[in-house]
Amino acid sequence: MAETSVIGAGTVVSGHIRGEGSLEILGRVEGDISVTGSVAIGPAGRVRGNVSASQLTVAGQVQGDLHGSLAVLLEPGARVAGDISAPRVGIAPGALARGHVQTDAEPAALARPAAQPFVRPAPQPVARPAQQPAVRPQQPAVRPDPQPAARPAVPQPAARPAAPLRANVPPPKAEPIPPAPLASPPAPKAPPPRPELRSDLRKADAPKLAPAPATSGPGSGEFAPVRPLKPEPRRPPPPVVPVIRKGTKAKKKKSHD
Amino acid sequence: MPRHSQEISVVGASTRVTGRVSGTGALRIEGTVKGDINVNGDAEIAEGGSVEGNLSGEALDIGGSLLGDARASGTIAVRSGAKVRGELRGAEVSIEAGARVSVRLDTEFELDFGPTQRRR
Amino acid sequence: MAGTVIGAGLTIEGDISGEEEIVINGILRGRLTTTDAVTVGGSAVVGADITGASLSVAGQVTGDVTATERVDIQAGGKLVGDIKAARFTIADGASFKGNVDMEV
Repeated sequence: MAETSVIGAGTVVSGHIRGEGSLEILGRVEGDISVTGSVAIGPAGRVRGNVSASQLTVAGQVQGDLHGSLAVLLEPGARVAGDISAPRVGIAPGALARGHVQTDAEPAALARPAAQPFVRPAPQPVARPAQQPAVRPQQPAVRPDPQPAARPAVPQPAARPAAPLRANVPPPKAEPIPPAPLASPPAPKAPPPRPELRSDLRKADAPKLAPAPATSGPGSGEFAPVRPLKPEPRRPPPPVVPVIRKGTKAKKKKSHD
Repeated sequence: MPRHSQEISVVGASTRVTGRVSGTGALRIEGTVKGDINVNGDAEIAEGGSVEGNLSGEALDIGGSLLGDARASGTIAVRSGAKVRGELRGAEVSIEAGARVSVRLDTEFELDFGPTQRRR
Repeated sequence: MAGTVIGAGLTIEGDISGEEEIVINGILRGRLTTTDAVTVGGSAVVGADITGASLSVAGQVTGDVTATERVDIQAGGKLVGDIKAARFTIADGASFKGNVDMEV
């Protein structure tokens, strides 16, 4: 699990920031930021530079371009002067933005299963910087929605044998797939869409918890654990030669698994 | 959405208007309009509705497709199912996550980086 | 209720076509075509050829009208143009100038 770094409220960073992990900015950064995890800019946070991350949540002010490989969300009170690009972009009522805003055509190809050690939920990054991973090791991205209240933590370990493997998958990845509006991004605004989506997923996968979209999207726990997670579980086309089971010696033409 | 004093005009789901629409009152577009729209009232593009042209009104609610510029004296709300390409200018512009947009926002505001900053 | 309603304050310059009811209380300059009923309200001013299943005119229409079923001009209504419809009525107090072809 990647760590979350915090730039405290009274801190000023002059220079570029880059690396793995997530970042929470409560102070000021004058320079570009490029991390693989998520970036959360608190209400008092100020960034003068371009920001590139998987998930960006802005409650403060930015003068520069924002790029999210998953989503960029502006919460009420945010002010951004610069271009915004991400497959999902949310600008809450009360946020101000000026510049070009671009969503990709399709939120496809978010395939970075191993490279995303930790993606934090958009809505409340400020409140809980590093709590989630400790509290719920199997749920890498916990969305502090109303829904989790209904499923505190009970079915987690038992119901998800493959869950630990999923821990590496950025949970929001599954989100763009369902056409319904995503739950997590509009957290500050409108809870209603969220429950619908979550309940859909929940119905499909009974033991699943609401805040586990990554696993719920593609399959429902029927994956063989060895399969790497992909947005769409795909099996390679069966080879013309019959599969040789493991343990068969000699005459190994091709063995696929 | 519209105020009570505004009568609502509706372009029905299976109606296509090719030409200019103007006037007073609120307008909801469930079908297709190819041409500029300029109303002295709230305008809404319902999900499934489509406007190819510029849209101008008081408060704009875009749930469908807009290919053109949008100007509002009030707020512009882009809903999650919308598809918008053009320039959006309003007192405030909000975009729900899920919307597909390629837009230029022209909102007027100033950044406030605090007393110690050197303003660019 | 009608599928399309053009309110009294609205002006459309262009063509309207659809497959549902259309009610016009505002101003239309152009063409109007639908497979359903057309109602021209009392406050409407329409300068357009109209084609529909039926047409009821309580306002002003200047243009040729074609209806597969019927055309009715209400009292206070005014039509200047030709009518092509299986049947038609012109109410007392209505005004009409044009030709009528009842062979549809």
